[in-house]
Amino acid sequence: MTKANRNLYRKEKRTAVLFIVIPLIGFSVFTLVSLVAVLVFSFADFNTYRNTFDFSQPFKNYLNLFTNETYSTHFFRAVGNTVLLLIGIPIGMVAGIALAALLQAKAVKKGKKIFQVLFYLPAVTSAVAVNLVFRYIFNPSYGIINRLLDADIHWFSDEWLIKVAIILKNTWSSMGGTMILYIAGMLAIPQSYYESADVDGASATHKFFKITLPLLTPTTFYIIITSVIGGLQSYADAKLFGDGAAGSQTIVWFIWQYGINQGKQGLASAASLVLAVFIMILTIVQFRFSNRWVYED
Amino acid sequence: MSELTRVLSSNPIEKRSAVKNLIVKILLYALLILITFITLFPYVWMILTSFKTNSEATSVDLKLFPEVFRIDSFITLSKLQEQRISNTSFLRAMLNTLIIEVTVIPVGTFVAALAAFSFSKMRLPHKRFFLLFLMSGMMVPYAAVLLPQYRAFKAIGWVGNEGFAQLFPLIIPGLFGNVGMMFFFIQYLKSTPKALIEAGRIDGASWLRIFIRIVLPAILPAIAAQVIFWFLGIWNDYFAPSIYLSNEWLTLQALISQLNDSTARRADIPLVMAGSTLGSIPMIIIYVFFQRYFIQSLALTGIKE
Repeated sequence: MTKANRNLYRKEKRTAVLFIVIPLIGFSVFTLVSLVAVLVFSFADFNTYRNTFDFSQPFKNYLNLFTNETYSTHFFRAVGNTVLLLIGIPIGMVAGIALAALLQAKAVKKGKKIFQVLFYLPAVTSAVAVNLVFRYIFNPSYGIINRLLDADIHWFSDEWLIKVAIILKNTWSSMGGTMILYIAGMLAIPQSYYESADVDGASATHKFFKITLPLLTPTTFYIIITSVIGGLQSYADAKLFGDGAAGSQTIVWFIWQYGINQGKQGLASAASLVLAVFIMILTIVQFRFSNRWVYED
Repeated sequence: MSELTRVLSSNPIEKRSAVKNLIVKILLYALLILITFITLFPYVWMILTSFKTNSEATSVDLKLFPEVFRIDSFITLSKLQEQRISNTSFLRAMLNTLIIEVTVIPVGTFVAALAAFSFSKMRLPHKRFFLLFLMSGMMVPYAAVLLPQYRAFKAIGWVGNEGFAQLFPLIIPGLFGNVGMMFFFIQYLKSTPKALIEAGRIDGASWLRIFIRIVLPAILPAIAAQVIFWFLGIWNDYFAPSIYLSNEWLTLQALISQLNDSTARRADIPLVMAGSTLGSIPMIIIYVFFQRYFIQSLALTGIKE
């Protein structure tokens, strides 16, 4: 290597580092430092009025979170609600794949595009609008559901019914996005697989379960993980749809309620950290598996 | 209908399978129309309700259509400050949202694309380490870093500020680029031939010049795809704006949720629905015009990640 070339390489390396310096700073300040701070907060007793930290009982927040009668009840309720609401994910996925299969069916030709565009509409509508409209639709005294059924169903005060309502709402808003991902996955399957199945006289159902579904595994896995990560961070459902009703309180709602609303930042930081650990594990699982599934077959 | 004539004129065996196909077709379309109805009903209900009076909307005796289509709620929406419902007018909220969009997206996208270029086409030392370092940030949930950020922004006076600085917590972090977007560009750049860049090097162009003249145009489709979703994300964002903003600085979604809060006692449903309608229309229009882009980009994201 000549001296001129070495100089050129050194210059290229320096420029390359320069080009990534802004994201590096952003990540360090807004994520790394914040994460360390949340860790520190979670071991501190923070006094809002005097603006001081007290580290004399480092595990107090965690003890409170898991054993204090009021706090742990609220926290475990939030965790339980958040996890139960994840049941909506497989429901939305089944709806999404059914829609995708329906639109890819041979008998459906005319208007395919229009249906596809319409079904995706909820995905571009804000969570605020969706939650407020559905809160009106489910209103126990004048909502259209109870009025049409002429029933007196307590959608908000019952801790199970409010979950049913939230899951119905989330299925409505998520199935279009899932459908698009599945259609993309289906279009990537080589037509020859189906042709050879046709030669063997396979039925449409058989082809769907033996060819389409197994080959869509990477898409399915992607949707499950991203939806679970999103679901664990759900907040608008609790804040807007449930308006803080006990049956709708989620982990992020708990963090907001104690950390921002009530100024109990130590307690909320401990909850944040528990949530962050959960999500980090899930993300690592996703990267591990998506590599195996997407690249190796 | 050509299909019907074909069914009637064919021989018995063909006829039976053709009839079966026709029935399947009718059933599938019936199902599609039912799903269309379910998808659209909440929108129809939102729009119809926004033209009702509050007593119509909250009546036990429910009617589908308003007795008279009243635009009262939309008029109220244009006079939120005068009516002391909110300190942010509807147009102002839209403007606040757009301020965030137009400051964050161009800068953040440029930064993300530049970093992606460095990662995929340049001799970046410790490439793997830096990439993993940045991407590890993608797995940290926003709620986990919210509290220290909130405290820090409060300490420097962005929280509780009376003026423009209120928007900073929603703008400044975005200016440092978006790692998800950067990762997407890196994947996209894999298919850009290295020869293109080397040709630029031979011509003696600087790296920045190569980036602007060669790389940016080459990844334009990827940029468009990502910008559309970032725009949508900021437009519909609710969590951070509802925490950081107050007075006349609310974004659209924060304002709409405030309509729900401030009217909670009297439950002015038509006003909330009118706000939701007007807040959703811009995105729906953009979506209808660019639907091909939306759908292709989403499909691309799902496959690539």
